[in-house]
Amino acid sequence: MATLTHYIILSSILFGIGAIGFLSRRNALILFMSAELMLNSVNLMLVAFSYFRADVAGQVMVIFVFAVAAAEVAVGLAILITLFRHVREVDVTKFNILKW
Amino acid sequence: MSDLGFSFSLSQLWQIAGGQLILIFASLILIFVDLWLTTDEESDHVATMGWLTALSFLVALWYLVHREWPLHEVVLAGVFSAEKFSVFVSAVVLLAGVFASLLSIGYMRNNRMFRGEYFVLLLFAVYGTIAMLQAVDLLMIFIALEVMSLSVYSLAAFLKDSRKSQEGALKYFLLGCFGSAFFLFGLALTYGLTGTVNITKIAQILSVGPFKHPVVLVALAMLMAGLFFKMSLVPFHMWAPDVYEGSPSIITAYMATAVKAGAFGVFLKLMSVAFTPILSLSGQPDFQSTINLGMLAVYWKPVLWWLALLTMFVGNLVAVSQQNVKRMLAYSSIAHAGYMSLGLLAANSEGRMAVLFYLVVYTIMNFGAFGVLFLIDGKEGKAQTLEDYRGLGYRYPTLSFLMSLFLLSMAGLPPTAGFIGKFYLFAAAIKQGYFVLAALGVMTCVIASYYYLRVVWKFYMEEPAREVVAGNISFVTMGVLICLALGVMYFGILPAGLVHIANVAQQSLAMVF
Repeated sequence: MATLTHYIILSSILFGIGAIGFLSRRNALILFMSAELMLNSVNLMLVAFSYFRADVAGQVMVIFVFAVAAAEVAVGLAILITLFRHVREVDVTKFNILKW
Repeated sequence: MSDLGFSFSLSQLWQIAGGQLILIFASLILIFVDLWLTTDEESDHVATMGWLTALSFLVALWYLVHREWPLHEVVLAGVFSAEKFSVFVSAVVLLAGVFASLLSIGYMRNNRMFRGEYFVLLLFAVYGTIAMLQAVDLLMIFIALEVMSLSVYSLAAFLKDSRKSQEGALKYFLLGCFGSAFFLFGLALTYGLTGTVNITKIAQILSVGPFKHPVVLVALAMLMAGLFFKMSLVPFHMWAPDVYEGSPSIITAYMATAVKAGAFGVFLKLMSVAFTPILSLSGQPDFQSTINLGMLAVYWKPVLWWLALLTMFVGNLVAVSQQNVKRMLAYSSIAHAGYMSLGLLAANSEGRMAVLFYLVVYTIMNFGAFGVLFLIDGKEGKAQTLEDYRGLGYRYPTLSFLMSLFLLSMAGLPPTAGFIGKFYLFAAAIKQGYFVLAALGVMTCVIASYYYLRVVWKFYMEEPAREVVAGNISFVTMGVLICLALGVMYFGILPAGLVHIANVAQQSLAMVF
């Protein structure tokens, strides 16, 4: 029987995978995906809390987070495409004309 | 609609969130104005949009300041509140919006970037910041934070032909997402622990209940980390210099002031209401048991101590080595965030007052400096280095004088407003017993005056290196810059009025219960 603790641990692990992926990968698209994974791990946790507290508010929040995540992807991919036109590259280590 | 579980009336909505409603309607109308408006000259089109935007900000500002605000009001099931604190910071943000829209007209003419949607995005950015400040609900704070951030990401990427602008925007976007994911994680944990996302209810539940949980600390750390990204405290600052350098200069000024003001306002509200025992006016704690919350302060204060120290040192020391003036100002704005976190750290009434005062002053002088910067620049990125500034004092006496005034204010030299603001911040920290931090902070101010005065030196004491042609200085731009300069002098010589207002605003935080 999965308890609340299991869900918290699972979503924390997913969040950690997302954070580590974000910090260690070099492809900008993978960075997007990692950030999305972080948001979705939080969704999982919200649903779990909502279920175990018998309170529907948590599930409503998930819908809001979905909407925000979708908007983020739209803006982020647009910026990435305009940058890609200049650089022809999705490797974040190549985005280096601004430093120090 | 009683079956919704909360009462809702349109008149109440208008009373509490009227400023937000004005901005939403204004931005929706301006989208169509941008489409339908046909003018012969593209620059007239942009000027009309800019003036309309400034007008909507002024209407919202007038709405916010002309009425007598009650101490605490809540609307929409406790999502928004309108107390003097959030009204004050919202007014600062709106003021920044007015400066940004008026200066943008001149900026767009100089850069031949005639895009009407720029102003609509600016309206949405200001709307998001104000909604974030008025929200008393963590979820609403998160959504408003995203509305603000997404608009600002797009604005930062507005120079389509500039690789710098795109690169800065992408970095800002990626780290912004990363930061908001942390905020969201903290939100979820808080919800799980307390069963609510309303910050006053969180405080009530935490102060009597289950603080024993170490998860409270994790939640607090996550929420704080999310906000630190927006406040650009070291080591959460990596995006800031890049995006500040790449973005259009006016947007840089907007990000450095209004976005930061929003983040500082929310941080103050969150910490003062939900996670710190706050004393009411009688000097007595508001809750039966504030010990739990007092214990929380033991954890977050040392973290903020180190962050403030690191931010002041890294911001100022790295700024010294910059040759590009825009990037130098970016690092200096990081350092200013460090000074302001002294006030957050003090967490007493003086500290909160000092932060509010400094937000106003900082907005004025930062917009002034970036306003002159874009004029000298002519076309974005053409004359931004220190070498370009050599000898400009004789070629462009007015611009150089204004720039010198704003930089001296940033350095904190009397009789400018920057001096008074810094004085209050350091005084608040010393009153709370942070002697070492205040002393080290003053040391960094000395470092800071070196790089600010270096620009003034270049203006007046060196021969011009090459011909620099400043952009077209329009009447509006000059008018805004002179207003800003007068503001810097006025608040430096007669700060009492603003101090009083800021004090009233911070007192209203103590009564949010």
